[in-house]
Amino acid sequence: MASSSKRRVVVTGQGAVTSIGTSADAMWAGMREGRCGVGPLTGMSMEDLYIHIAGQIKDFDPRERCSHSKPLMLADRYSQFAGSAAIEAMSQAGFHGRVPDGHRAASIIGSGIGGLATIEKGYEDLFILKKKATHPLTLLRSIASSAAAHISIEYGIKGPCFGTVSACSTAAHAIGLTYQMIKSGMIDMGVAGGSEASVTYGSMRSWQAMRVLSPDGCYPFAKRRNGTVLSEGAGILVLEDLDYARARGASILAELKGFAMTSDAGDMVNPSVEGPTSAMQMALEDAGLASTEIDYINAHGTATTINDVNETRAIKAVFGTHAYKLSVSSTKSMHGHCLGAGGGVEAVASIMAIRDGFAPPTIGFDTPGDECDLDYTANEGRERIISYAMSNSFAFGGLNAVLVFGPAPI
Amino acid sequence: MDEVADKIVSILKKNMKNPPEHVPMETKLADLEIESLDLAVIVFDIEDTFGIQIPYNANEDVQDFATVGSVVERVKSIIAEKGATGAAA
Repeated sequence: MASSSKRRVVVTGQGAVTSIGTSADAMWAGMREGRCGVGPLTGMSMEDLYIHIAGQIKDFDPRERCSHSKPLMLADRYSQFAGSAAIEAMSQAGFHGRVPDGHRAASIIGSGIGGLATIEKGYEDLFILKKKATHPLTLLRSIASSAAAHISIEYGIKGPCFGTVSACSTAAHAIGLTYQMIKSGMIDMGVAGGSEASVTYGSMRSWQAMRVLSPDGCYPFAKRRNGTVLSEGAGILVLEDLDYARARGASILAELKGFAMTSDAGDMVNPSVEGPTSAMQMALEDAGLASTEIDYINAHGTATTINDVNETRAIKAVFGTHAYKLSVSSTKSMHGHCLGAGGGVEAVASIMAIRDGFAPPTIGFDTPGDECDLDYTANEGRERIISYAMSNSFAFGGLNAVLVFGPAPI
Repeated sequence: MDEVADKIVSILKKNMKNPPEHVPMETKLADLEIESLDLAVIVFDIEDTFGIQIPYNANEDVQDFATVGSVVERVKSIIAEKGATGAAA
């Protein structure tokens, strides 16, 4: 085995479930054409809801997508999204059935909140309907480590297995930690990412009460932006040590070059410029890249007034004049804010952007918002050579996680 | 001060770390170190206290929330509208 300092981490599989496509390829096709997955909120009571839109996934049949696994078929929707994306990613990587050396493999799948629909149903049964018992699977469906566990069971993954929790940075933390474990020599491969299925009545009411949701749509960096839009989904990667992947004869999609995480230690909702800035700088250092080598940034870009200005300032602090040469976009404009899954979905978008030499757009962009003066790839995606792409995730609480991807090593 | 103003000032004070003894109507909310999340909590408290709904989005600058007095006026007009609607119904 190569010494840990020389180990390189590559991506050999990717899977996604989003409101604009329920596979990585379908999602990417949606991004290429600027498809919008935000639509009228359905499937719940509208009582006292004044936000009536979300990025819900309406063409996901768990019996079809998780047909080989009865436990997954009975799991919470969040685990089913994760299972579907993991199966897609593992199949692409060439892992069918149990992995060759389970103790050298990891399953790190995070979620902002876990099985929220299950929790809400359990409380409705108990407190409203006064039922004698909750569904027997309420606990197992609820826990936010259940997706990671289901995937470890599915593939005989016997090494590190847990979920990360860091709100909107959850998936990026999961991917980053798996990368570090592979780099350190602890494991050879891992399934990593995030999943979220929290477009529920209770969640809509909680977000509505914070007054940060848009009633119209998700318009990052645009003048007309007036809040974010909740959505659901999953984004999952298969990461491997480069030599391990080559020995298996795996087809390599990209290299995960760098990762960094910082915390603002400032405020729950008002981000600092310094925290995201240092996370981006440290990720570049970890990748061994100069800032001028980055071509594309998949921004956190939530379409809240505060985030988009703050992120723009941080990008300028890191990249200086090169900031204006970058293609920046927020794909949340299309798939909405997938919360804990966001970093996974956006990692897939970043890898696809490198593969195709195509920066996906920020749709719904009218005119630039105040202080938003970068090239946000307005409304239409753009062909350009993308050697290195950065994916930003910044969460409530000031939790920042940044991933840097590059081309498959030759 | 009237009853609505009294209640609103006490809600503001409850949500401030070091509330001053007197909060004049012309005081800017910004000067009370009230930020977006504080304002969401304050609006919730006001809605709960008066049984009304106040349209408010933290992503938009709303003049109604510029000063203590403007909040009081907004709440009074919503209460009046509610009363008018109730009478017509």
